[in-house]
This record gives sequence, C-alpha cells and structure tokens, in this order.
Amino acid sequence: MYANSSRYVGLLFMTPALLFVAVFVLYPLAHLVYTSMTDASLLGGGEFVGLENYVKAFSDRGFWRSLWFTVSYTLYITPVLMGLGFLAALLTTENTRLKQVTRGAIFLPVVIGLATSSFIWLWLFDQQVGLFNRLLVDFGILDKPLVWFRKADLGQLAVIISVTWKIVGFGMILMVAGIQSIGDDLIEAAMIDGASYWQRVRRIILPLAARSILLATLISAIGSMLAFDQFYIMTGGAPRGQTFTSVYWIYQNSFVYFKLGYGSALSLILMVIIMAGAAVQIALTSRKGSS
Amino acid sequence: MRMLNARRVGAALLATATAAFMTGTVFAQEMTMWVRDGTAANAGKVLVDLWNESRPDNRIELTVIPNLQMVTKLATSIAAGEPPDLISLDLIYMPDFMKADSLVDISDEAAENPNFDKVIDAYKDISSYEGRTYGTGFAPDVSVIAWNKDLFRKAGLDPEKPPRTIYEIHEMAKKIAALGDDTYGFYFAGSCPGCNIFVTSPLMVAGGAKILPRDGEDTALEGEAVKEVLQVYRDMWTEGLVPESAETDNGANFVSGFTNGNVGIAGTGGFVIPLMESDFPDLDYGVALLPGLEEGQVSGFVGGDTIAIPRGSKNEELAREFINWVLTDEAQLEGLAKNGILPVRADLATDNKYFANQPKVQVTAEALKVGYVPWVFHFADMVNSDASPWINMLQRAVFDGEIDEAIEEARERMIEIAGE
Repeated sequence: MYANSSRYVGLLFMTPALLFVAVFVLYPLAHLVYTSMTDASLLGGGEFVGLENYVKAFSDRGFWRSLWFTVSYTLYITPVLMGLGFLAALLTTENTRLKQVTRGAIFLPVVIGLATSSFIWLWLFDQQVGLFNRLLVDFGILDKPLVWFRKADLGQLAVIISVTWKIVGFGMILMVAGIQSIGDDLIEAAMIDGASYWQRVRRIILPLAARSILLATLISAIGSMLAFDQFYIMTGGAPRGQTFTSVYWIYQNSFVYFKLGYGSALSLILMVIIMAGAAVQIALTSRKGSS
Repeated sequence: MRMLNARRVGAALLATATAAFMTGTVFAQEMTMWVRDGTAANAGKVLVDLWNESRPDNRIELTVIPNLQMVTKLATSIAAGEPPDLISLDLIYMPDFMKADSLVDISDEAAENPNFDKVIDAYKDISSYEGRTYGTGFAPDVSVIAWNKDLFRKAGLDPEKPPRTIYEIHEMAKKIAALGDDTYGFYFAGSCPGCNIFVTSPLMVAGGAKILPRDGEDTALEGEAVKEVLQVYRDMWTEGLVPESAETDNGANFVSGFTNGNVGIAGTGGFVIPLMESDFPDLDYGVALLPGLEEGQVSGFVGGDTIAIPRGSKNEELAREFINWVLTDEAQLEGLAKNGILPVRADLATDNKYFANQPKVQVTAEALKVGYVPWVFHFADMVNSDASPWINMLQRAVFDGEIDEAIEEARERMIEIAGE
C-alpha cells in the first residue's frame, strides 16, 4: 500500500517534466514524422505519400553533397576548436588577475550572436574594404587582397576562422573547469617526482580532464553538424551551392522551394545521423570514464 | 440625495464615455499591410500615408519586411490563419500563391473597375490564373542598361550613344577598361541569381531566346541568344573587363558596382534613378533599354510588386477598396509619380506632369511596356535560389568556360523542376 502510494507520488513529481517533454519534444517530433510522409507545401495542402520523400532523398545529390560538406567542416573545425581551447585553458587555468582577464577576453565573443559575428567577419574578409585582407597584404602574406568566397575551400576556411574566434572560449571554459577540478596534491606529487610541465599535462591533466574535453567535443561536433547561420551569411552557399550545409539545404527545400514535406524528411535523416554520431561519442566517453 | 445625484451623474458620464469609446471602436476599422523593403516599401509608405490622411477611421498599419524573409513569413502567416489584410508581393511569386489558393479572388473588382485594364500588361498577366484575377500592379520596376558618360568621354566614345547590341557592350567595355587605373568596362553580380534574371536574361530575351519552362513539357533556354550572351560575358571575364570581385557578388554590390564610378556599363533597375539623384548627383550617366543581338532588339525584366489580399484577411472588403483606390489618378499621380515612383497604369506611366522633364524615367516607363515577366511556377527553385540551375549555368559558363555543358545541364534541371 505504502509502496503503491509512493510510486504515485513519484509519478506526480515527474508529471511536469513528462508533460514538458510530451508537448515540446514528442508531439513536434511526431508531427515532423507525419509531415515527412506528405507532399506538404509551405503554401498549404499535403497528401500522404508514404516513404516517397525518403526515397527521393537518397537520390538527392544536393543533400548528400551538403551532408559531406558539413561532415568535412565538422572534421576540420572540431580539432581546431578543441586544440586551441585546451591550450587556452592550460594558459589561463590559474586564478591570477591577468589570467582571469585573459580568460574573459577569450570568452567574450561567445556572448555575441553567431549572426552578428558572421556579419563582422564577412566585412573583415571583404576584398575591397576588409581589414583582414589589408593586414595579410601589409604583412606580406598576400600580394593583393583575396576574394575569400570565390572557392569553396577558401570560403570554408574563412568560416572556420570566424567561428573559431567566436566559439573557442566556450571549449576553454569547460576545460578550465575540468582542469581546475584536478587536485593540487596530484600535480605537486608529480612535480616532486620530477615530472616536466608537458609530462604533467600528458600524464595527469589530459587523462583527468578527459570527460570535460569529450563533453566539449560532443557539443562542438553537434553544433558544427547543425551549422547554418555562418554559411547563410558569409557564403550564401556560393560558389554554386558548394558551401551548403545540411541544415542550409533543408532550409532551402522547406522555405525557399516551399517543399515542407521533403524538408521534414531531410531533417529526420539528419537527426538520425547526428544521433548515431553522438551515441558513438557518448559510448567513447563512458568507456574512457570507466577506465 | 446629493450623493445619489452625484452617483447618477458619474454613472451617466461613464456610460457616455464608454459609448463614445465603443462607437469609435465599432466604426474605426484598421488594416494591416506588409511590404518588402526596397522600392515597394517606398511606394507602400507614400500610398499608405496618402490613404491614411483622408481616411482616419480606416487607417492602414504598414510593416516593412526584409525582402529575403517576405515569402516565408507570408506563407506561414496564411497557414496559421493570421495573415496581413494586404500584401505587396514580389510579382514573380504570384503564380505559386495563386495556384495554392492563398490569395483572394478579386475578379469582380477587375471587371467593374476600368482602371484594372489600364495597368501595364506584365502585371495583369502575372496576376491572373485560370481566367481569374488575384491582384494588380503596385510598385513597378524594370531593368535597363546604365552607362557612365564620363568614362565614355575619356575612352573616346560618344557619351550620348548607349550600346545597341551585346557585341557593342563588349567593344565599348574593352575601350573603357583600356583606361586602366582600376577602371572596368562592365559589371554584373556573378553570384546573384535574382540580379542576373533581372539584367542578363533580358539580353537573351531581346535576342529572341526563351528562358524558363512553364511545365515539364515546355522548353527552356532555347535560342542562340542564350549562348551568345554567355559567350560575350565569358570573353569580357577572361579579358579582365569585369572586376574580379564580381564572381562572388551575391547582390551586395549590384548597385554600388556601377555607382562607384569606375565601371563603364552595367545592367541595373529603374529604382537606381532616384537613388543616383540623392546619393550620387555628380555621376554623369545615362540609361537605355537592354539590347539584344541586333540593333533594334530590346527588352527588360518587369519586376517590382503586385498587391493582393491574402486568404484569411480580416478586412477583405476594405482591402478591396484600397486596391481600387491604388489604381485611381490620385494614388498613381499624387502618391507615386509625385514621389519619383513609376505609376503602374500604362496611361499614366509616361504621360504625367511629374515625369515630363525626366528622360531617364521616360526610358524606364518605355522599358515597362516592352519588358517581359516569366509566368512560371517554382521560380525560386529554378532561378532565385543560391543553387538554382539558372545561376549554376551562368557561373559555369562565364567563370569555367563550359558554355554548352552549362546550358544543357540547366535546361534539363529546369524542365525537371517545372514538371514537379
């Protein structure tokens, strides 16, 4: 009797959270699944077409090209963000005034909107008035200002530079928290044993901060797989649609070509791919953690 | 007793005030209207101000929407049952919205009001679907070719003679670019699909080409002018007559490419004329109809906005009244022409006191009469999107030099899209 009532009380406590998930996650997801099986247009209507949109997606060169571009972007930017973030964390972990200010300065761009920072960098990269080009020419790195968005790889590099400036502070903060949670006694013991700085980093800090690093990697990788704003603003998909990310392609189909049903199917495919990637990462995290 | 009287007087006052307030609420009927930024927003502001001045009880609240967001916002607002009462819509989207039954049928107004018939043909055509009328012209615009007279003089060209064929564009561009010192012969925004359907496609159409298919059985990109125009563009690109930055211009420098003063010839729109007067009064330039392959061949892309009533409008009757009023002499002349905006009625476009001494505006009015607008579904997919077959063709042909392959690929894709 007591056990039963206690179970109901537990359920009662969970109800708000369950309701929240049902209304804001499950219902929209169910609706998305249904829409993906219709030929719904943004302008209205929509007949049930079964799995037709999914079949179409498999032969949609634009989607697979955008997916590959997104994966390559993620593979390039994630190590850059994590590497620089970890270095910045190492340099600013101690709570001295100077390091706190440095940490704050590196973190500052994180609080700027991604669209805002993308616009700033769009103009910094401009061939005619861009400061970035001017500096590269003045330092003798370039002979003349570069048209950054003429080629897909250059456009991608420009976006990676801008996003690194914007995001690197976020990974740094997570890693600083991880590093600061390592006990001083461990570090001191290693120093007494004669471990050099890099030995301490490699043998103590990296393994013990691994959870924070993997968490930052997971967040960063998912964020990169969902990249949209920065490419929408800086490259506009140019040249010739070669810098469309998956989300950008979904946006094009849903809101520019009005194919809401098809866009929904693409969204679900992307969701499954990201979930699979995240599951692998989480599995790796758990294994590292347990070992 | 005094207390009672005071209460009664108070109650009476309250009732009177309430009645007055209610009366105002009942009779004042306000409308909402969305207009996209740019020329249409200017037209919207002057017309709505004029309307509001004389109709304080039926005021219109105008909202300017960023161009790129307009179609999405409108479509979602209609789907949600909360659209504005009136919409000024990029005319090219009319077929899609009419087919989707998203606009109110105003055929009765069109039949009863003789002013509907006086509207420039392109706007009448694009507002009709299966014999019914769903809108009319609102804020006209049209493409023309502009040339820099100062650079023409310096290059030894006659500053009063615009290019009359695409081959003359090429020859003149060579002479202007030869001036050196960061001077270029020609400009086009190489990554802007909308800009190029506006200023490049008329060069092809003037030369007899057909650009877009109406359905999956129709033809696309037919006629030698398609290849000829792309070849001239390609030659001008490889010869360095066009600034390098044109390749990545997604439209941001569509206007400034010419107004900077270092470009000899560029396609542009009628909207640039008031802009030049206010912001670049010292730039000596001319405008003419966009040419074709031979002398005498001319065309233009009729753009701008139509006005329509979205399905679900809460003030449909009043919205119909506004559309009728927009076509009156008062609105066309004292609203649009007086403020330097082209009237949409053909009979008033050139023949009005405000444009009598403005030869450039007269040219654009002429272009409106000879210009074309493609009546097709899926325009965004075929032309306006960043990965459309139209812009892919232009870029592959001009920047990679694969002209025949580019045309063939775009043709196949356009017909495929039209068949969806």
